[in-house]
Amino acid sequence: MPETPDLHPHGRPSIDVAVPPPGHEGALRARLHASSVAIVGCGGLGSNVAAMLLRSGVRTLTLIDFDAVDASNLNRQLFFRDQIGRPKTEALAETLLRIDPEARLTLHTCRMTADNLADLVRGADVIVEAVDRADTKAMIVNTCMTTFPETPLVTASGLAGYGSANAVVTERPCENLYLVGDLTSDVTAGHPLFASRVMVAAAHEAHAAIRRLLGFDEP
Amino acid sequence: MKVDIALFAYLADHQPDGLGGRHARTFDLPEGTTIADMIATLGLPDQPRVVFVNNRHAPEDSVLHDGDRLAIFPPVAGG
Repeated sequence: MPETPDLHPHGRPSIDVAVPPPGHEGALRARLHASSVAIVGCGGLGSNVAAMLLRSGVRTLTLIDFDAVDASNLNRQLFFRDQIGRPKTEALAETLLRIDPEARLTLHTCRMTADNLADLVRGADVIVEAVDRADTKAMIVNTCMTTFPETPLVTASGLAGYGSANAVVTERPCENLYLVGDLTSDVTAGHPLFASRVMVAAAHEAHAAIRRLLGFDEP
Repeated sequence: MKVDIALFAYLADHQPDGLGGRHARTFDLPEGTTIADMIATLGLPDQPRVVFVNNRHAPEDSVLHDGDRLAIFPPVAGG
């Protein structure tokens, strides 16, 4: 199938994937259907990333989170009042299956550590870091890039506060790492989390994964 | 030996030229310098960080080599 760089003028075709030309959306969808993504953390980022990936055709998802739905999550996370108290993985799976009953979901309701993370995400075509703590983000990036250097990893940093949504960007600081956010807006510095800006970052993460699955890289 | 060092986000303020910015600066370092040595020399705060050498994660006790590109990125909380 011919490559069509014009399909996405802001990205360059890469890897060894040929992107189908316009009019072949079914082939794009088939590629996404055949892909799997592991989402580490099912909070403001991860719950929304999962829904966007599924709506885009990525039907095989691994959901990892130890936590339960809390009332304070409902301002930005894809959960509902009647799910309070339930494990986030299970509540999210229930919602995802309402979107697409054919979704293939693997749930890991456990705390991820440097020791078990590799086993939890092994086999995914793309890994998405979607946790809240800075030290956990660093652990995930360091562990995944050491254990699976060939697997694309999408991570987010700097999405709190009321700064411009336009400051949230996707960049690729090194070969298989996609970095989303403004890099500086730290929730622990007192910046609140707004659903709007968190979901901008979640959309960037989901779209970075989709672009990579389709064979495009960020500049 | 010559090593390029790029510091991201708020770490950029620790570049010795005081100019900030994430672009790499070239350092002339003695053989055997480790990443941990450079972290101490630059006075980077003891905060979570991601360390890359030549696009791959590297442990902080790694010895740097001539021509290496060291990049350090500090994730911030929120998700």
